[in-house]
Amino acid sequence: MLNVSQMDIPLALREKNATPKITARNIRKSFGDVVAMDDISCTINDREFVAIIGPSGCGKSTFLYLIAGFEKPTSGVLTIDGREVVKPGPDRGVVFQEFVLFPWRTVLGNIILGLELQNVPRKEAEERARKWIRLTGLSGFEDAYPSTLSGGMKQRVAIARALTYDPEVLLLDEPFGALDVQTKNYMISDLQNLWTEANRTIVMITHSVSEAVLMADRVLVFSARPSRIIADVRIDMAHPRDARDPMLRQYQDEVTGILSAEVDKSMRLERNL
Amino acid sequence: MSIDVHSARPANPISLRRIFDSIQPMIAIAIPLLIWEAAGRMGWINTFLFPPPSQIAHTIWVQAGPNGHPPGAILMHVGRSLYRFLSGLALAIVIGTAVGIAIGMTRWGRLIFTPLISAIMPVPTLAWTPILLLLVGLDDRTTIIIVFIAASFEVIYTIVVGIEMMSVKVFWVARSMGASRQQIFWKVIIPGILPYLITGTRLGSGFAWRALIGAEMLAASSYGLGFMIYDASEYMSMDMIYGGIALVALLGYFIENVLIGRLEAATTSKWGVNVER
Repeated sequence: MLNVSQMDIPLALREKNATPKITARNIRKSFGDVVAMDDISCTINDREFVAIIGPSGCGKSTFLYLIAGFEKPTSGVLTIDGREVVKPGPDRGVVFQEFVLFPWRTVLGNIILGLELQNVPRKEAEERARKWIRLTGLSGFEDAYPSTLSGGMKQRVAIARALTYDPEVLLLDEPFGALDVQTKNYMISDLQNLWTEANRTIVMITHSVSEAVLMADRVLVFSARPSRIIADVRIDMAHPRDARDPMLRQYQDEVTGILSAEVDKSMRLERNL
Repeated sequence: MSIDVHSARPANPISLRRIFDSIQPMIAIAIPLLIWEAAGRMGWINTFLFPPPSQIAHTIWVQAGPNGHPPGAILMHVGRSLYRFLSGLALAIVIGTAVGIAIGMTRWGRLIFTPLISAIMPVPTLAWTPILLLLVGLDDRTTIIIVFIAASFEVIYTIVVGIEMMSVKVFWVARSMGASRQQIFWKVIIPGILPYLITGTRLGSGFAWRALIGAEMLAASSYGLGFMIYDASEYMSMDMIYGGIALVALLGYFIENVLIGRLEAATTSKWGVNVER
């Protein structure tokens, strides 16, 4: 709980000394003839938790993959700490909805892989992994193989794996999408605590408004394809938040309003086609 | 083991059932053999063409021992066949894996190998024997290459399937951890295709074992089970022929289902990877 004090400072104050971490300028991305993304510009600050939400198929995951360096923008510039993103790297940890664990490795083996690839000695790697194993509640499961774990446990492994090699940015691609509601609620509160502990910049793709407003400092609403940013909603509330807070409900209504107007529009367009 | 001892108690009908289930396949094999044996002893069948199983077993036993011709003949035949088989299989695993990865991961690999394999695949492996005999001659290399050809197609095929089954996100995760190309090869591709390689090896070993026995009939100058069977027909030694066939069946079953089958089951249950084939 190193950074609790930081969390208690109101958001507005923190933002004053915020430094830009990820900067997107006029990003366009097309796959063949299909324009997935049209002119996206935004700035994500250091240690900020940003949620990206939008109608399904709007290319919000693609935006995450651009930040991760898995895909390249057709035009525009994407920078992290002022350096252009050209390929994936260990400064950005990625967690997918489908977990994407390595089935031939144990829980511990999965979690230390990042350090192993960076030639960190085994002992030190296990030492560093230990912390995240404890914080993600995986203690006692170090030697289990992924096939024996539940969905929630697998996602914990994926999160611990991404945090263990100490990335500055954590990219979450619908991290709770494959989990049942009960597990999801646990994971959300866990992730809130983890964020406090890890103190990283987090970009999370989600299709759940309640998830987004509960966890994020800012919610970016993407339009239907070709996607643009149609709203940038600041959730001006201290962390950790209570899901039953009426103020949260107001934010939720605001974001839902913007989103459903967009979904209506895209549905109308689809029908007219 | 202790469980088996317990289940042997006749008081428990469930375990009796289990015992029956486990020996059932053996009964299906034993009954025809018993009928054969009885028919031979009663003089209902020509025992020159159909020597009773007991006589076949006796001949094999004698030929495996110091009074064999030459001493330990059966062991030498089996040993030579296994040597050729394992050498060819090892080649198929190494080269088949390389070709499979080339097809699965690279465009040039697909362009070069896919048409070649499609063209060669329908040819029965034994059809290569005359060519190999002329190319490399009447020695172990010919039969080893036959085993290699027979086993590689399955190895290549399952590895290509294995790579296709791997999600691109597996590579993304590795790359986002900073993995180099070499690290991705050794830490992602190789372990990722291992269960497929084992399945491919098991399936390929069945083809290869059968092809080997055939090839030994055509292209072995001495030793090997195929050679033994073929040679026995020259001397009209029916019990050696039947004994050889029985050994081929037993060893083939052992290799495919026990040796590699166990390995496959272990990886499948541990990693939760099911290779559909």
